[in-house]
Amino acid sequence: MTDTALLRVFVVDDHALVRSGIRAELGDAVDVVGEADEVAAAVELILERTPDVVLLDVHMPGGGGRAVLDQVLRTAPAVAFLALSMSDAAEDVIDVIRAGARGYVTKHISGPDLVDAIRRIAEGDAVFSPRLAGFVLDAFADGARASVPAPTFDPEFDQLTPRERQVLRLIARGYAYKEIARELGISAKTVESHVSAVLRKLQLTNRYQLTNWAAERRML
Amino acid sequence: MLAGPAAPPPPRRRPLRPFRRSADESILGGVCAGLAARLAVGTTAVRVVTVVSVFLGGVGILAYVAMWVLVPVADEPESIASRVLTDRRELQIVLALSSALLAVLLVTRSLGVSDLGVPTLTLLTGAVGTLVVWRGASPAETARLRERLNAAPGLAGAPSGWRRTASRTGMGIVLIVVGVGELSRTGSFSGAALGVLVGTVLFVGGFLVLFAPWWVRTLRDLSTERRERVRAQERADMAAHVHDSVLQTLSLIQKAAGDPREVVRLARREERELRHWLFDPGRLGRHGERPETLVDAVSALEREVEDSYGVGVELIAVGDCPMDDGVAALVGACREATVNAAKWSGCAEVAVFVEVEPGTVSAYVRDLGVGFEPASVPDDRQGIACSIVERMERAGGRVAVQSSPGSGTEVELVLPRSSSAR
Repeated sequence: MTDTALLRVFVVDDHALVRSGIRAELGDAVDVVGEADEVAAAVELILERTPDVVLLDVHMPGGGGRAVLDQVLRTAPAVAFLALSMSDAAEDVIDVIRAGARGYVTKHISGPDLVDAIRRIAEGDAVFSPRLAGFVLDAFADGARASVPAPTFDPEFDQLTPRERQVLRLIARGYAYKEIARELGISAKTVESHVSAVLRKLQLTNRYQLTNWAAERRML
Repeated sequence: MLAGPAAPPPPRRRPLRPFRRSADESILGGVCAGLAARLAVGTTAVRVVTVVSVFLGGVGILAYVAMWVLVPVADEPESIASRVLTDRRELQIVLALSSALLAVLLVTRSLGVSDLGVPTLTLLTGAVGTLVVWRGASPAETARLRERLNAAPGLAGAPSGWRRTASRTGMGIVLIVVGVGELSRTGSFSGAALGVLVGTVLFVGGFLVLFAPWWVRTLRDLSTERRERVRAQERADMAAHVHDSVLQTLSLIQKAAGDPREVVRLARREERELRHWLFDPGRLGRHGERPETLVDAVSALEREVEDSYGVGVELIAVGDCPMDDGVAALVGACREATVNAAKWSGCAEVAVFVEVEPGTVSAYVRDLGVGFEPASVPDDRQGIACSIVERMERAGGRVAVQSSPGSGTEVELVLPRSSSAR
């Protein structure tokens, strides 16, 4: 996709101030086709207007972003979601990712970075903010690090490869994908495929820790 | 110059104060002390008379309760009775419980356990009066009464739990024994008593059908009321917090509107505090204390640098470990590096990443600012770099600095951890 102006974006947030802020940040770079401030209206309008990307607030009354994801993806699995939140609570963030969001960024993100993230999401890539990368590293920590080694059901989904771990670590350190590619001597496309692989693992794993780790942050 | 007003004539006798219950000298309702003040006699004398009159067919009890309910406390405008009468809900509760009391009395009478003599009626009136006091007393008086009752010997004043339990159990057993003794003395369940029994059952059933729904609703209202009180308390806590932090910060921001740096600094601090309060309340309490873990220490560092230099610190932590000398050195070096980035990079955001792995603890401090040529560092900054490097090397770790003009700086701090420290 070369013309980003064609990207159709939908904004879901229960605060009017935030919605207008996002609109202002996005400017003319994308086409904001609608916005909603609660779950039911969001589901209805998203299904009606089929945007390329939905910017989704994690915390909302009436079930939160999670409810929107569940209801939309059931009938329209092609809609791509980018979670946008102030929240730092790891379990909330991991929850929307596992429910199907393709990325998570904080509301601090600058306008150009947000447009870039939307473009990547629309192209089918995943977008990890440093914070999300930190959460995922924490969630997929080696069994040796945990006080009780996590039972591994499926090594394909329950563990990160060393390369994926490297990529996540660089994201957590604040590197952009391009800088990661340069640092590791691989192409930016490869970096993106690693991140997408991590996203898939995150959504498919039934790793015991994912549901529990947030409650018992481990100590060495 | 006008002549001063004539001096008022000296009071011939102390004017009688209006009859008010006393709050300070009270034992129960402060009736005796109030009466004593009103009549200008000794409080003890009034108390003795009251206690004696209790044995004159219970007159003392009736009079005491009546005055308790009808006479307001010295500094309160309303009496308990008027408070209950004006509040429909309280009135309903009092009526419901009084009718239940009356029902119990009638049942015991029909069983032949008690008769409706003067003492019983006195007791009943006294109990209803106490009920009115319980529902209608002002919060101040309720608190006072609770304190008195808790201080009463044998009730709840005992320091340890078991003694309180023991005294309660003891009292319960005494009451049961007396009750059973009374029953076996007066009640005769043989032969003719059957008719009485059936009548009683019908009577009790009728009473239940008539009044039970009302009683149940009243009880439910009571528990709803308690829940509402708890919720109101929570709301008050929340409001207090919002006031202390958010509103204060907003007013500070308005005052500092001309200084963007200060505005950003204030907004950052408030965001951080609110975030801690919402998502990590356990950690909040540990602010200001000596940090016990790596994450506590770097969180403190984040706070410090954000507050002192007005830059944002994006802290990402993976894993955690308790503090020891090595970790303290790492945190110290990390602070130096973060402060450097905040002071010199010209960048509004510094990324700090710390990770604990089985064999190592590492920290990365990165900015996207002006950067520098590591080979041509001015002396004073060389000194700072030395303090980072030396500190890490003393602790057995290592430091790597990556920087070039225009593309930012990253300081890497790695500290091996001995397995014995785990």
